[in-house]
Amino acid sequence: MNEVERIEYTPVSVRETLILMKDISELMIDLAYSAALFNNRELAEEVMELERKMDTLVYVLNMNLMLAARDREDAETLAGVAKVGSLTNSISDAAADIAGIVLRGIGIHPIVREVFQRTEEHLARARVSEDSIFAGRTVDDLELAAEVGVDIIAIRRGKHWMINPEKEMVMPDDILLARGTESGLVKVQRAARGEAKDLE
Amino acid sequence: MLFEKICNDLVELKDTSETMMDLAYSALLLNSRALAEEVLMLEDMVDSLHTEFELLVLSKRGEAEEARGLLGLIRMGVVTERIADAAAEIAEVVLRGAGPHPVLRMVIEDAEETVERVVVSEGSPIVGKTLKEARIAEETGMWVLVIRRGNRWMRPKPSTTIQTGDVIIASGYADGEEDFLKFVGGMKQDPQ
Repeated sequence: MNEVERIEYTPVSVRETLILMKDISELMIDLAYSAALFNNRELAEEVMELERKMDTLVYVLNMNLMLAARDREDAETLAGVAKVGSLTNSISDAAADIAGIVLRGIGIHPIVREVFQRTEEHLARARVSEDSIFAGRTVDDLELAAEVGVDIIAIRRGKHWMINPEKEMVMPDDILLARGTESGLVKVQRAARGEAKDLE
Repeated sequence: MLFEKICNDLVELKDTSETMMDLAYSALLLNSRALAEEVLMLEDMVDSLHTEFELLVLSKRGEAEEARGLLGLIRMGVVTERIADAAAEIAEVVLRGAGPHPVLRMVIEDAEETVERVVVSEGSPIVGKTLKEARIAEETGMWVLVIRRGNRWMRPKPSTTIQTGDVIIASGYADGEEDFLKFVGGMKQDPQ
């Protein structure tokens, strides 16, 4: 059984929470399709991590909505917002189901996989080691897009997520999720592990 | 070739459901019925595309080992359709139209953002240009959300070439509206 935690109320901006939920569900969809199409278990596991984050967010969103309702009119409109929250959660559930195709070992037909390998952008996961050239620098500073055609789409630090990071500092033990060319991603993974001291 | 077709359909399903999510959220945050309507139109398209996709996969009757890989495809189609459905339901919340609550509205009014739908007319200066060349955002401050061509919806890519009759849907600050209409040289399709 999965560990289930108690979720405490925290005051949040409803609009920002909704936008964060949208960003997370989009990231999940990207990762999930990529996991399925390239049969990548690591990416599928990250989808499951995000799914847990999403579950917490929905709870917190709903708590904030409940406290914001003062009268009948409020209830009418806020019900709509709550509905959107739960729909966003179903989108993330859908992404988790796509990841499940990999985790359950069903997989995608190899010929289809081959086609996608040629045409679609690749995603990859990389863990940052203590002696990596990335450690202690911000994502913008790394200039990975210009150097090797790779974008960092998210950083996971334990249970904490940074989506579309720019000014955030990369730390040892961070998990980087990156999008780009196959060769660029290999270079990024090597540099993250500390095996390469440059991106050549 | 059958597999080529299966892949194409899968890509289109995936792209369409993601476009729907984009538009549904924009509809909500901008309180735009026009965008919500677009999402519902897309929903119809996804349903038929999904049926076509499933029929294609099923027509590729394979050996036992192949069946697993085909099941993976079927599941992927089903899930993608579910994403599209969720996006359509978000759009329905907007169309039910209780109007955005203060918890959302505060920020919306501050931003004074609007959504425009414009049909590109024959004499428009941007016909034949790519989105990158057309520089719509730079010139007008309006962001292209989606381009509808006949019954196809395209997510804006820098390489997309604009054609006569395209419906460009864009969002931005209200004061960019006039510039946008003039620049695109098109006709405004019903307001927000």
